[in-house]
Amino acid sequence: MSTGYVAVQWSRHKRLYDASVAIGIAIYLGAFVGVSKAFWAGEHGISDEVILIRALGSCAIVLLHIILCIGPLARLDPRFIPILYNRRHLGVITFLVALAHATVAVGYYHGFGVLNPFRSLLTSNTNFSSLRAFPFEILGLLALLIMFLMAATSHDFWLKNLSASTWKRLHMLVYFAYGLLIGHVALGALQADRGSIGPALMFSGLCIVSGLHIAAGLKEYRKDRGAGTLVVDAGEWVDVGAPDEIPTDRARTVCAPKGERIAVFRSAGSISAVTNICAHQGGPIGEGKVIDGCITCPWHGWQYRPQDGCSPPPFKEKIATYQVRIVGGRVQVNARPLPPGTPTTPALASGGLS
Amino acid sequence: MSDSIASAILLTLAAYIAAGVCFAFGFVFRGIYTIDPAALHAPLTFRAVLIPGAAVLWPVLLRRWMLAGKKP
Repeated sequence: MSTGYVAVQWSRHKRLYDASVAIGIAIYLGAFVGVSKAFWAGEHGISDEVILIRALGSCAIVLLHIILCIGPLARLDPRFIPILYNRRHLGVITFLVALAHATVAVGYYHGFGVLNPFRSLLTSNTNFSSLRAFPFEILGLLALLIMFLMAATSHDFWLKNLSASTWKRLHMLVYFAYGLLIGHVALGALQADRGSIGPALMFSGLCIVSGLHIAAGLKEYRKDRGAGTLVVDAGEWVDVGAPDEIPTDRARTVCAPKGERIAVFRSAGSISAVTNICAHQGGPIGEGKVIDGCITCPWHGWQYRPQDGCSPPPFKEKIATYQVRIVGGRVQVNARPLPPGTPTTPALASGGLS
Repeated sequence: MSDSIASAILLTLAAYIAAGVCFAFGFVFRGIYTIDPAALHAPLTFRAVLIPGAAVLWPVLLRRWMLAGKKP
């Protein structure tokens, strides 16, 4: 939430998280180099530089798989939400590992000739029409550029000033980068004739990432088609259920006729409704809870007052609110969103308006 | 890819990034206040973190800076 900016919003948990990632990367690289040196010894021995290139490259790909799995895992099981909080740090770390891989690779394969290494990279292999000889390095380079763009715009400043939707679209390019990396690994292995372990692992990773995304998507689809979507009063009001069906300090999420999700919260005997989309990164507010009187997004802890969708001072973020009422012992929410930050009159959980 | 095309790509990229880096330093110390007052008292480390992004996305920021400067 924005009052004043700092370079990195550290907290004890984030430091712990980042330290764990750094230790994990160090262990992975150490183990990869150790095993490779033992396996590729003697007449089949390969140089330390090549081992390092492979260690860094495979490490970046493992990290990218983890990043891509965190989102759907958090949607499937709330216990994964804590690891979602620091995903941007993980993204920046992944870019740095990938950059190290690219630096060593370009330096090793293109840095000792008369040509500029980048010029050598672009001109040494021009077999774009052949799959077996395709310049797979270009695919890795494009993926690295996308990862750089994402890492460089990972600060909240960019989220606010590029607008949340543009920022999100920009960061969805991670899937395009992932596709490029699949090509980079598959074609690289094909050309080096290094066997099928790398591509097989990459394919397994692709299956896991795809499977988790499909499972999370199906869960969301079923949720939207579930209870609480009955439309009454000519499409204006949506039935949410009985007041006591909404857990205390939690929300029930309903789907409006046009498809947008509305989070209906019950707290301190009152019922209020806000959009299900957090102003920060589009997190599912309805999966959060009311803490200290404020709705708290489960992704990064951004807070909003239930009655007007405004963040508590000194923060200035706002989200759309919705009118609620209780008719015949049933909570109903008006499907038309009010402008962000519009005060509404909460309904009393015991019936009527507060 | 022919040598001349590679050279042209690299030269264009280098010119774009060089212009971006120059812009980025001006932006993080001046223009940033125009488009986002919340950055007014931000520390130096925050500005340093923005430089890589500003160097790449400088046309977007330049446009926003100019539009924000025209507002009464």
